[in-house]
Amino acid sequence: MGEAVRYIMSEGELKRKDNSICFRKGGRNYYIPIEGIKEIYCLNEVSINTKLLDFLASNGIVLHFFNYYGNYSGTFFPREKYISGRITVKQANKYSYERLKVAKAIVKGIAINVVEVLYSYYKNGNHEIKNNIDIIRYEITKALDPLTNIKEVLSIEGAIWTQFYDALRRILNKDFEFLKRVKRPPDNPVNAMISLGNSILYTKTITQIYHTHLNQSISFLHEPSDGRFSLALDLSEVFKPIIVFKTILKLVNKKMIKVDKHFDKALKYCIMNEDGKQIFIKELNQRLEETFKHPKLKRKVSYNTAIKLDALKLVKYVLEDQAFVPFNVKELV
Amino acid sequence: MSKKYNYNYVFLFYDVDEKRCNKVFKVCKKYLNHYQKSVFRGEISPSKLLKLKKDLDKIIDKDYDYVSVIKLLNQSFFEEEHIGKYDLQDGEMFI
Repeated sequence: MGEAVRYIMSEGELKRKDNSICFRKGGRNYYIPIEGIKEIYCLNEVSINTKLLDFLASNGIVLHFFNYYGNYSGTFFPREKYISGRITVKQANKYSYERLKVAKAIVKGIAINVVEVLYSYYKNGNHEIKNNIDIIRYEITKALDPLTNIKEVLSIEGAIWTQFYDALRRILNKDFEFLKRVKRPPDNPVNAMISLGNSILYTKTITQIYHTHLNQSISFLHEPSDGRFSLALDLSEVFKPIIVFKTILKLVNKKMIKVDKHFDKALKYCIMNEDGKQIFIKELNQRLEETFKHPKLKRKVSYNTAIKLDALKLVKYVLEDQAFVPFNVKELV
Repeated sequence: MSKKYNYNYVFLFYDVDEKRCNKVFKVCKKYLNHYQKSVFRGEISPSKLLKLKKDLDKIIDKDYDYVSVIKLLNQSFFEEEHIGKYDLQDGEMFI
């Protein structure tokens, strides 16, 4: 609880009614309780007005918009509650002097999590992927330490993903052919799922960072450019293998999602249809809500909270110079 | 069950005078999902539940009205059966 989300999949009108939210669709009102809700996703055409936005702002609710094809189009978030000039200045300072350190930590985190996901398949008898695991584990990770240039670190990250996608091809069920990662637009079912999953994870990270004092636009691994929250890209990176890809692998290998049933192949590329999106998002959300015992906090924590903890770790790093070690599955055991 | 538990899921039934029906409805829908005519249910944190009870307290006439709250630990603590047509309910993740 407390992390409640709603996904609006149908056309309609979202409005404020009696100090609560109401979604009007086909002549029927669906009430969304204002208390306890944190995020609302609009995945279809939804009309809103400023009255609603003002109301959401006063309750600290974040609203994400996606277009018809499932591409992320933007987020409405309330006037920043957590503003700290002190942290912004220090964060920028860290960016200028210690960017490499953080970027390397993130790439290392990706490598650990990727290997962890692959290893569980290797353990269960899929020996084809041993080569990929070894390359990531021994060659790529070793190459990381001596680097002094951010471009090279980024190319290492690219190399990790290439190996991972290569291994993925061998794990996935035959119906789901996956040759390489293609974006904008995705060209086959797996790419469609990866794109949707990544953009939802990205928005989840934005929401979590919103609740800390960090500045969303100063990032370390990705180039801090205009027009997007690159810090969210940084922080979501290590969670991709354990949240997005684990969900995809589960859906595909348990045959919960089928190529001919859940994808729209009318155009040249593939997008998920309504049903497919629903199944996928539900599973992804379940994964995010899943809890594990946190070794330091000594209590159960969901992956969603783990994203926020990562943001807080970064705050600690920025303010108090505590080493930033992004979330990894190994630290749980 | 003893008081030690943290209740996170409730059923709420109300039986109030017509004059106050709407008011109670409005308060409840802020916190819970509408389930049937005078029945609400949904996940709610203990602190929010206190707030809800305080809000209701201000509205109802204690000598005449009756509101009952059944508290449960979470959604997996009961089983539900449907007879008849089951529509899309409020409170589902997807609308």
